[in-house]
Amino acid sequence: MHVILFAPDWVAGSASFLASAVEFVEALTIVLVVGLTINWRSSLLGAALAAGALAIIVAVFGVSLVKFVPIEVLRLIVGVILVMFGLKWLKKALLRYSGRKALHDEEAIYEEEQAALRARGELNTQKIDTFGVVTSFKSVLLEGLEVAFIVITFGLAGNGPLAKTSHAAQVAQANSLISAVIGAVLAGALVISAGALVRAPLARVPENTLKFIVGIMLTSFGTFWGGEGLGINWPLSDLILLPIIAVYLVTSFVTVQMLRVPGKPQAAKPAAQG
Amino acid sequence: MKQVQSIVLAVYNFFVGDPIILTGVLAFFVIVGLLAHAMNASAGLGAGIVLIVGVILSLGLSLYRETQPKKK
Repeated sequence: MHVILFAPDWVAGSASFLASAVEFVEALTIVLVVGLTINWRSSLLGAALAAGALAIIVAVFGVSLVKFVPIEVLRLIVGVILVMFGLKWLKKALLRYSGRKALHDEEAIYEEEQAALRARGELNTQKIDTFGVVTSFKSVLLEGLEVAFIVITFGLAGNGPLAKTSHAAQVAQANSLISAVIGAVLAGALVISAGALVRAPLARVPENTLKFIVGIMLTSFGTFWGGEGLGINWPLSDLILLPIIAVYLVTSFVTVQMLRVPGKPQAAKPAAQG
Repeated sequence: MKQVQSIVLAVYNFFVGDPIILTGVLAFFVIVGLLAHAMNASAGLGAGIVLIVGVILSLGLSLYRETQPKKK
């Protein structure tokens, strides 16, 4: 019988934590609107159903991918998708930093959603309201899917292949997945507690900065894992990640300077997604 | 058929949502894959640099297209 000791994978945990924090803030805004405008029962029921669906997605895909897909293939696919996913986040963050795209404004989204619900004639009653449950469910599920994807990819492609034996690889992979799940749960707990305390959208969370950091992490790890999947023997092993991150950071700073619109203030207005 | 199309579109929008990033990243992964295959087991930093440059180029092109005034 093997005794498995949990050793946290800080990279998987922190990537999952940061990405989850951004997505939880966005989902919380809609859950708050539904709770305050319709009722809390409908809002929390929708959010709980979505959280359950996400847990099933992570469990099913996480376990089945590990069982049925060879790690080299998994790393290549995960790498390609992570690079694309990371570039999508990075592009948005760079456009916002340079003033070419409006910053995400949770307060404005909150007001807009509340006005839309009132316009539909939704009243605050104690009965479970189907529309309220669906609205809350949809927002948590949609925002949570991105978190689920990051948890699965960082969990599966993490430290496993660096291990010397297949048992050690399995243990390392399990550690990465658990760390990624813990990161997401911690971010959720933090954002939900803050939301419960202030009962207002969390407008002061630096969403763009978090998105930028996660974009850099996803792109860098995607490049590293995708490269390994293609058969590249990176010099310095996983330490090569530091220069890769540095290259993407420098490129991003130069890009923001080149794109910056002179004299144009960074207007904040509602941005429906992302 | 329409449902399949909308599912494919939703998956595309979820993961990429940008044709330049999609084609650019895929193209460079194929190029580096061929390069790594040609170099057998010795594909190292050179192939890695090509991959990183490809990723940066894809981002740059996508940002360039995004910041150009839209034609009416």
